[in-house]
Amino acid sequence: MKKNKVNQMTLCAILISMALVLSYMERFIPLQMFIPLPGIKLGLANVVTLMALFFLGTKSAFTILIIRCVLGAVFGGGISGLAFSLTGGILAMSVMCIFKQNRRVSVFGVSILGAAFHNIGQILVAIFMMGSVYVIGYLPYLLLVSVFTGMATGSICAGVFRILKTNTQIIQN
Amino acid sequence: MGKTKGMRLRFCIGDVLVIGFVVMLAILIGVVFWIKTGTEEGNLVVVYREGEKIRELSLDKNTEIFIENSYTNKLVVKDKKVAIVESDCPGMDCVHSGWISGKGRSLVCLPNRVEIRIEGEVDSEVDFIVR
Repeated sequence: MKKNKVNQMTLCAILISMALVLSYMERFIPLQMFIPLPGIKLGLANVVTLMALFFLGTKSAFTILIIRCVLGAVFGGGISGLAFSLTGGILAMSVMCIFKQNRRVSVFGVSILGAAFHNIGQILVAIFMMGSVYVIGYLPYLLLVSVFTGMATGSICAGVFRILKTNTQIIQN
Repeated sequence: MGKTKGMRLRFCIGDVLVIGFVVMLAILIGVVFWIKTGTEEGNLVVVYREGEKIRELSLDKNTEIFIENSYTNKLVVKDKKVAIVESDCPGMDCVHSGWISGKGRSLVCLPNRVEIRIEGEVDSEVDFIVR
């Protein structure tokens, strides 16, 4: 039992550091060269969020998300960055939690929903920060792009999960 | 690990519905927004900093101004269009937004907390009112 707890804690720590590195690394992917829109990114950290959600459960996933956002702000996002990532992240996580149980939606669908609601959350913060509703004008573009970024992260997730599944079976046997 | 029974890894019909939902939502918001803004002519450029109106410009007069806050944006009005052509903010999303015109359109520089919005008519454009 105790070993399990240490296991879980270590896993959480690894996932947090992975998420931080991924969100830093994806700044170097020049996605804006292809889609010239504000705030476009691949959302690779969502792979980690999904992993946490599926392997560790809702509670740990939320903990990982919040710690990741706070650390991300400390390392360079700043307070306004924290508001964006936390609101987007929590909204995305909540929606993914709801659809995780749905047997009709695969990891791809969950990932797309996560990406879409992450953008919706960020636009909500932007409306609040700028004191202007006109920022909503960006949302349709962001939503359309999130279908593609969600597919991309979803397929990464599917690959990672497959490998993890077979490997843990080997370990357990 | 291993609690992965409730998860599907293959793309399935539910995912198509999810994509459909997101695309429909995008189109819906886009259409509503399009109808509300941008279809009318407007030539008043209003500069907001931290949500506060700091400057008004006419879209009919070619000008260049600098907007200072945490960063500096260079705003150019040219040929009835407006753009942020230079900025030292990270990301430079505002510069990538390009040239805008039409009432209700806006340029946003989030790091600098600046919004440039095109609003209705400039009063000076009204030469006289006949009653």
